[in-house]
Order: sequence, then structure tokens, then C-alpha cells
Amino acid sequence: MRLGDIKNSIKDFWKEFRKVKSGLLGLVLLGLFLFILFFEPLLLPFSEANKRWKDITYWEDNPASAAPEWINLFTSKKRAVSQELEESRLEEKNAGTVRIIEETFVYDYRYDVAPSDLIFKASGSGNVTVIMSVERPDGQKIDLMRKPMEIQEGKEIRIAIDKTSKSDVLNFLKKLNALNGVTTQTLKTTDIIFSKIENSVSFTPDPLKGEYRILVSMILQKESDRIDSTSMKVAGRVQGILGTDNSKRDIWSGVLAGVKWALLIGLLTAVISVSIGVIYGVMSAYLGGWKDSLMQRIFEIFISVPLLPVLIVMSAVFKPSIWVIILIMSIFYWVGPVKTVRSMGLQIKEETYIEASRALGASNARIIFKHMVPLLVPYAFASMALYVPGAIVVEATLSLLGLGDPTIVTWGQLLQDAHSGGAMLSGMWWWVVPPGLAIALMGMTFAFVGFAMDKILNPKLKTR
Amino acid sequence: MFWKYVLKRVFYGILIYIVLVFIFSVLFNSVMEQTLRAQIEEEIRAEMMGLDSRSTQQIQSFVENRRLEKYSQYRLDKPIFERIIWRTWSTLTLNLGKSTAIRSAAGDRDVWAIVSEKIPRTLLLFSTAMLVDIVIGIWLGLKKAQKAGKFLDKSTSVGTMIVFGMPSWWLGMILIMFFAYTIKIFPSGNFHSTPPPEGIAYFFDLIYHLALPVLTLVVLGFWGRAFLTRNIVLGVLQEDYIMAARARGIPERKILYGHTMRTAAPPIVTMSLLALLASVSGNIVFEGIFSWPGMGNLFWFALQQNDVPVLMGNLAVTTGLYISGLVILDLIYGLLDPRIKVGGKA
Repeated sequence: MRLGDIKNSIKDFWKEFRKVKSGLLGLVLLGLFLFILFFEPLLLPFSEANKRWKDITYWEDNPASAAPEWINLFTSKKRAVSQELEESRLEEKNAGTVRIIEETFVYDYRYDVAPSDLIFKASGSGNVTVIMSVERPDGQKIDLMRKPMEIQEGKEIRIAIDKTSKSDVLNFLKKLNALNGVTTQTLKTTDIIFSKIENSVSFTPDPLKGEYRILVSMILQKESDRIDSTSMKVAGRVQGILGTDNSKRDIWSGVLAGVKWALLIGLLTAVISVSIGVIYGVMSAYLGGWKDSLMQRIFEIFISVPLLPVLIVMSAVFKPSIWVIILIMSIFYWVGPVKTVRSMGLQIKEETYIEASRALGASNARIIFKHMVPLLVPYAFASMALYVPGAIVVEATLSLLGLGDPTIVTWGQLLQDAHSGGAMLSGMWWWVVPPGLAIALMGMTFAFVGFAMDKILNPKLKTR
Repeated sequence: MFWKYVLKRVFYGILIYIVLVFIFSVLFNSVMEQTLRAQIEEEIRAEMMGLDSRSTQQIQSFVENRRLEKYSQYRLDKPIFERIIWRTWSTLTLNLGKSTAIRSAAGDRDVWAIVSEKIPRTLLLFSTAMLVDIVIGIWLGLKKAQKAGKFLDKSTSVGTMIVFGMPSWWLGMILIMFFAYTIKIFPSGNFHSTPPPEGIAYFFDLIYHLALPVLTLVVLGFWGRAFLTRNIVLGVLQEDYIMAARARGIPERKILYGHTMRTAAPPIVTMSLLALLASVSGNIVFEGIFSWPGMGNLFWFALQQNDVPVLMGNLAVTTGLYISGLVILDLIYGLLDPRIKVGGKA
């Protein structure tokens, strides 16, 4: 086959392919996945999600088990969204060697369900006393904390109000005689900060909407002490496109990060195994005789192996990396196309041009690779497309059992976390549905393309 | 000469099984022996507890003697090749060793006892699903082939592609979430209520627990079956004798069920069974999601408990069942299609 021939046959193929609508849809979806693959760094809301997926400190500022943001569109009770607060005022006062930095953050609270946490962060060095309080729209002021802290060079201090200010908020209620049976166990700090002070405030929190001013004063004693930067984050009850899991990880980031692994696992396994299978089948058909019989016996042994159980046990014993998993899958997957390819090969073998080239003294290898395999390339592509989903599902299944490669993020691992984290029981659909839907969508993409190719290659399947 | 074919195929299946068990023994020998050594040490320690009033020297020599005895009992003192052969033989004779953590319902630690009590449950779940699946699939496939290219055909073909890469266990998770936890109409797992009801109520209880897993498998499975049936039937419909039958004015219905199905049935039946056999192996994890106490769930459980002997024993039995399935399939095919018996090669 020369280059021109290939060009022409591709052109012909495209002409046929264009008529199959589902195939085109598949191509569009494939393009979408490739787009995500190439622009992943731009699309990821948490840029280090790949490297630090299992690092809990990277995710600690997110709310845990938060639903996606867009569910606010469908519920009557709006839940607070995660956001970073703008600093509205910064003042520095000097009193001798003592300096006081006063900062005010304004939070415009317009939701029905209070955020889950307020997180203050500061970097710098030295000793600092942090005093924090919040001014509510109803004029009440709650002292949140007063604590001397040490900032180490290059590190940050992190204050999460929900935990730190529990007793302060309790004291605030006590002072107003609005305790009503609230104890440290039943108290949710942010619920009280963002609710009206009425009877049984913590049992049926009634949101107090309006502008909250959070005042942070930092007292620095020594000349060498300094504060470089500060930030205030509101950890909401809903976050991002797909919410978070129970370890505060952003699920949308996980799903995006899984795209490249799914494509890699699927395509690599499919390409390796189908290539081996096609060459094996053609060789078996062409060589014939006892070689054919031997190759068929070997093939029959491989086809009698229940793939998944064997893979499960092998992964459990050898703890393989993703590359080894792909290799093992390829070792068992190549048997798929052999039977069809062999029967096709048997037909091609009888063609006169094969006989002619044999008469001219062409070697077996030349005949197989130059004259027989190229004819099977279209078939090979169609079966490759149809092998991709299987490989992805197998990897996901291994991950579901906790046997996946722990250094990467795959959809199967997201689902394993969801399963072991009790997402089904607590109805966290945003944790269970998206990764599996991504697997199904990827499978669908390749199925659309593969079936369309199959339809063109098997004219018998055409509708009358 | 069907029986000759049967004998040949069965013999061949057994041969393949022996080869596979041998390969497994080679692959997993070291990890199995590691577990075995740990078990022996544990046994000796337990025996040591019974000994008192002996000097440390005596205990030392006792431990060493016992260890040597045990090692020769389990042939750990033999060369590696002999050990592997011995392991292959004991696996083939269902001497699968003792589990490290898991016990059977009767409290037995024999791996075969543990695995064998799971077999019927797995068979029950998957054969029920298979039956429903085939009936719906073939019916729909015929309908599709009859009106190929029309709306029903096209829309269901799209359905086939949509579920093509969907993991059954994921759909199971979602259905459990909605039907067992949100709207509580189905149980979330297990194969009977606790305590299991008696008599006829047990049967209905079983069906009630079977419903959701079977539904999941069927919802995902029948599309593929229908698509396959459609393609095979459509291929047959283009044969000359069908055209001849049409030309003779035989009603379309009769052509479809009489003439076409006679040729199309063997491949449809075997390919459906083959696909389902593959799905049993592929859906093995599925049982874990539904806590259906079958062989797939046992894999999951053995992994969590890190019970290597059970894992290996379960693998050997699963492989055996899989190969028997393949053999039975070939026999059915031979029965349906007389050409196979004569030629011997497919």
C-alpha cells in the first residue's frame, strides 16, 4: 500500500462514516475528552489535584461532603457557597514596640443554611496574638477567639472557627440567656453565628441575613515579628461543580484528573492487545499445519482464563503499578480478535496475489506484514475502539476493590472512596454518580465510534 | 458420533484446567508458602502453650522437631519443582488448605467448605439474570431485525451503545442508593432477611432479595443480547433461501420464526451464553455491592481479610466453573449445529 492509496481509502472511509450519525456523535464526545486531556491544567479548579489527591492538608479548607453549587437552583433553602472574602480595611497601629494590625473582612450572607466553617490563614514569622470577633447585622458582637500563636518562617497558621470558637460561642449564648439546652455536643458554631438569637436557636436555626464584619487583630510584640499575608475563606455547604467528598476533596477535580488515565488505560490496552491478536491470528492462518494447531491450542488456554478473577488475585499478590496492570490486561485481552482474524486470514491466504508473491520468493514475514495484515487494519481499528471500554471498566473494578495504583487518580478509585465512605447510605449522589457516569460516557464514546466502523466494514449489517 | 465429540471436548477441558492450575501454582507458590509457614508457626506456638515444666532447651528442640515434621507433612522441605507439582495436585483434588481468617457457615476453616457453600448462590443469581436477559433480549432482537432501520431498531441500538461501557456495579450502587436507601422498597443487600423466614415465606423473601441485583444485570444486559440477535438474524434474512421463501409467498411471520430462526438459533444461543459467561466473570465484583454472599463477594471479603488461601482456592474454583461453562457451551452448540460434531473445528 502506498501513501496515496491510504489517503484515498481514508477519504472513502470518511465518506461512509459521515453518514452514521451515532459515529459522529462519538467523534464529538471523543473530541471533548481530548479537549479535557489537553487543557486539564486550565480546567482544574485545584491545580495540584493530581499530585496531592491523597494529601489531606491540600484539601483542608474545603467543606466536607458538600453538595454541588448548582443545587441551590433547585432548592428553596439556599445553602451558603464557598468563597474567599475580600479584605475591606487594613490598619496598622503602633504603640511603642507593639504593633497592632487590624483587618476587617466583610461577608454578605444571603443564604438560608449557614456555612460550615470560617477559615483564617496568615503567614509571616514570629509570635502573634490573634484576636477575632464578628459583628452581626443585628448589632450583636461575638468574640470568637484570643490566642497567642507562633508562626514559623515559611509556614502558615490556620484558624478554623468552627472548632476553635466553640466555647466562645457557647459563652455568647450564655450571656444572652439563650442557651435553651444547647451543649458543646449539639452546638454547631457557624449555625449560631449566622442565625437569629431566638428560642432554641441551634435546633431550628433561623438565618440572620445581612452584612457580617469579621474583625481580626494581630498583636505583634517584637520588631522582628511580621505578618506577610492573610486570607479569610468561607467553607460553604455547597461547593464547585460537583461538590466535595467526605475528606473535603473536590470531586470535579478528581473526575477531570481521571480522564487522562482512562484514555491511557483504554487506548494502550486496546492497541497492544488488538495488534498482538491480529498478528497472531494472521500468522496462525498463514502458517497452517502443526504450527496453526499449536497456536490454536495456546489460544484456547488463554481464552479459558476468567480475566477478572485472575487479575484480582494477581493484583492482590503482586501490588502492581498502573503500567503492569495495563500489561497484564493486554496479555489476556489479545485473544478477542484472534478467531475472526484467523478466519479472515484463511480467506486472504487463498488469494492469487499471495500465491504470486510466494512464487516470487517473498519471505513469510513479508507476506504476513506486507500483504495480509494491512487488509485487516480497518477491522483492527474497529475492534480497538470496542476494546477500550472493557479495559477501562476492568481497571475501575480493580480500583473498586482497593487494588488500583495508589499514586494516580482514576474514576474507579473515586468510586471506591465513595463506596467505602458510605456515600450510598448518606445519599451523596454527587460522589457516586459523576465518576461512574464518566466511565459510562467514555465507554459510550468508543462504542459509538466502534459500532459505526463495524457497520461500514460489515455491509451485511446494513439495513436492507 | 456425538458422544465421541463429548468425550473429546470434556477431556480437552480438563486438560486446559490442569494447565491453568499449574500456571497458578507457579505464579502464586511463594505467597502461598509464606502463608503456610506463618500458619505452621502459629500451630506450633499453640502446641507450646500446652507444654509446661520443661527447660528452654527442651522447648527449643521440641519446636524444631515439630517444625521439621510439619514441613515434611506439607512438603516444604522438598525441591521447588516438586512443591509446585504437589500444589497443583492438591488444588486439583480440592485440597485447598486452611483459611487464615474466614470461616464457613458451620465454622469450618477448610477453604473448599468455605468456597463450595457460595457456589449455589452465585449460580442462582446469575442464572436467574441470564434467563430473564435472554428471553427479553431475543424477543427484542427479533423485533429489531423485523423492522431494521426503523425507529425501534435505531433507538434500541443507541441504547446498546449507551450501556456498552457502563459498569454493572456502578448501576448497582445507584439503584441501591435510590431504591434501598432513599425510597425504601428493596433491601440493600444479603440474600435473605435475618432471621430467615420458614417455608414458603423463605422463597418469597429470596425473590425479594434477588429482585434488585437481577434487575440491574438485566437492565444492562439485554441490549447487547438484542443487538447480537438482530445482527445474526439480519444476516440470515439476506440468504437466498429466505428470498426464495418470500417469493413463494410464505408469510413473513413464518419466514422469521420457521426459516430464519432454524439457522440463526445456534449462534444466538451460544453467543448469548458466551457473553453471559464472560459477564459472570466480569461481574464478580457486582456481588460485593449487593452483599450477595456468593463467590464474588468472597473475593472481596478475602481481600479485606488478606486471606490468601481463600483467595487462591476461590480463583481455582472460579476457573474450574468457567471452563466447565465453556465446555457445556460447546456441547450445546454441537447439539444444535450438527456440522460441528463432524468437522471438529469451529
